[in-house]
Amino acid sequence: MSFLSLMGVEFKKIRRSKIFWILLIPVIMMWVPSIINADMNFDLRGIPITPENNFFIQGFMGMVWFMIPASLVICTVLISQTERSNRGILKMLSLPIPAAKLCFAKFTVLLMLAAAQMVMSIGAYSICAAIVTRMQDYNFILEPLYVCKTVCGIYAAAIPMAAVYWAISVLIRSPIFSVGVGLASIVPSVLMINTKIWFAYPMSYPFYLLMVAYGRAAQGVYETQIAWLPWLLAAVGITILALAVSCARYGAVERR
Amino acid sequence: MSLFIESKKLRRTGYIPAFLAGGFLAAAFPAAYMAVKAEEMTSLSGKPMDLLMSANWQMMAMLNILISICGACMMYHTEYADNGIQKMSVLPVRQESLFFGKFVIAFLGLSAMVIMEMAALAGCAKYWFPDDVFSFTEILKTAGFQMVVALPTVMIMLVIASACKNMWVSLGIGVICVFTFSILPQDNTVLSLFPFASPYQMFSEATENGRTVLFLAVCGIETVAFGIGEVIYLKVRRCFE
Amino acid sequence: MNMIETQDLTKNYGDFTAVSHLDLHIRKGSVYGFLGPNGAGKSTTMKMFLGLTQPTEGSFHIDGKTYPSNRVSILKEIGSFIEAPAFYGNLTGEENLDILRKILGLPKSCVDDALELVGLTEFRKRLAKKYSLGMKQRLGLAGALIGRPPILILDEPTNGLDPVGIHEIRTLIRSLPQQYDCTVLVSSHLLPEVELMADDIGILNQGRLLFEGTMEELKRSARAGGFPTDNLEETFLALIDEDNRRRGGRL
Repeated sequence: MSFLSLMGVEFKKIRRSKIFWILLIPVIMMWVPSIINADMNFDLRGIPITPENNFFIQGFMGMVWFMIPASLVICTVLISQTERSNRGILKMLSLPIPAAKLCFAKFTVLLMLAAAQMVMSIGAYSICAAIVTRMQDYNFILEPLYVCKTVCGIYAAAIPMAAVYWAISVLIRSPIFSVGVGLASIVPSVLMINTKIWFAYPMSYPFYLLMVAYGRAAQGVYETQIAWLPWLLAAVGITILALAVSCARYGAVERR
Repeated sequence: MSLFIESKKLRRTGYIPAFLAGGFLAAAFPAAYMAVKAEEMTSLSGKPMDLLMSANWQMMAMLNILISICGACMMYHTEYADNGIQKMSVLPVRQESLFFGKFVIAFLGLSAMVIMEMAALAGCAKYWFPDDVFSFTEILKTAGFQMVVALPTVMIMLVIASACKNMWVSLGIGVICVFTFSILPQDNTVLSLFPFASPYQMFSEATENGRTVLFLAVCGIETVAFGIGEVIYLKVRRCFE
Repeated sequence: MNMIETQDLTKNYGDFTAVSHLDLHIRKGSVYGFLGPNGAGKSTTMKMFLGLTQPTEGSFHIDGKTYPSNRVSILKEIGSFIEAPAFYGNLTGEENLDILRKILGLPKSCVDDALELVGLTEFRKRLAKKYSLGMKQRLGLAGALIGRPPILILDEPTNGLDPVGIHEIRTLIRSLPQQYDCTVLVSSHLLPEVELMADDIGILNQGRLLFEGTMEELKRSARAGGFPTDNLEETFLALIDEDNRRRGGRL
């Protein structure tokens, strides 16, 4: 069975699961207050930033530090629960597909769901920026290329985190515990981002990228250069390790 | 009796360890924070407890909320996963008492976390601010206040979890609520009275602004109102099943 | 005297009628076999007795009490087992029963008694989620039998059991009215099974009661209606077939 058709199967499994709404609602929630409080973008509190950049960065701030990780955690629960609740996994493991391939297909589904949320958030941003532009009579619309590049960067930075969450959900069988660990791991990322070892903590990667974008838009708020080394090494290492562990352990308990 | 039964149902679900682990993690925040920023902090003026609270409580409260959400989902997941709730509904027991048994347990779990956190804060205050006069009643008051302002969140999360058969739907709703209230402006009094926002309120700030009674009263009323809401919901649900 | 009686009991789901104008009479101290193909409305009827779903029309009395005003006191008298066994997977078989015992306010010995009745004593300490299908089924039955309630409502209790288990459970159900004077309502889609257990039978098809009475009466009426009577399975199939044909529905 080809990988693509396997992914089709995996997508079919989450049909009618309302996951779309769970991904969409936070995106809307994030931007509605931004529209209501649009005039606050002119109150810069001494930070040297333009209102349109402020609107963009403040809007995405909640997304990168909390909602992206939380959405990933919920998606991993959804994916592993649909498999386990009615013991569908046993059926899957009895079919002629390698468990690792199955595991990787599921991880890809997770990434696709995250990508869908990113596309939605770009869409929501564009609509909201247009609305606010009308309301405030000031151009809030940033260069689309810049917006897409920043969001794509954030998405790429979320991949190691997704791999770690996926590994957690494979290793910790009790769904509540994997969620608990996942959600609890989000909280300290605010602390980690301000330390020297932030690159060892994948949950803070998207936050870090947005902070760098903030630093570039407003002098002196944060660093302006991405510290590629040792970040890249750590990120790649963590991703590979997490994926290797989850593929190796996938279905191990059921096959015992 | 229902309390005893509910606590028995939670055996081997890891409910208590989850709360203990959450408590330990939250308790580690002030210590870690002080370890990094001891100099800055000790040079500030003000009561050590207040300083520590304002530096760490946001994160600790968020952890409390998140663990409470997980706890609520876990309690109803054990009910729904293998149809246990169906058996319960054909027994001569009131669904309402089942729910309130769960609420008491959730509250006890939260209290355990808050107590651990307060102990950690007090320990940090004692260690890094040795000159400070240690006030036990103050800490007890703070702990009590923080527990009460978290009550509406615990209650409404249980209501949500009881309504959703799919655990991750209730989880998703809970997480979205946490997110929404964490990005709303914190200085708005009306917004800060909502569940998911009220746990972030600090006792010292509330005393300063003379809002302690307001917070305690509103949170108490909210909790009772959500409880009544659940009772009505259960009655209505019985008619539609 | 009738333990359970229904008048005109009807349940609609949207425009689908699951149970239609049902008048059942279940005698006290008897085993009543509730017979019908899959989807005939047996489970729905039983669920209505337990308050798990609301009747659209009609009413029923259990032991002289009416639903919904006496819901809790009705439930106190019924031990039930509906569809799939319902339990808490994270608890052992014994702990699951202990929870039921506490809610019902029964003495401690009831748990052992129920485990013994269904033959689970050996596996009492094992987690319910690790039980085999048959053991889960037995656990569900134990949950219905605990405290020996005066009324038992069992929905296909022998599903998933091996032949030995089926025989054991059948013998158990058959013996219950003599053991402690209880009334049993047991559903099945297999006529031979009901024949071995039940005093009275009710045959349900597409929500309607086709027949109610003793086995002898069934044979008599089948003979009168020109249905085959030498084999009860054939009688049953012919009855259902005839009913379906008359409605012009599925065969």
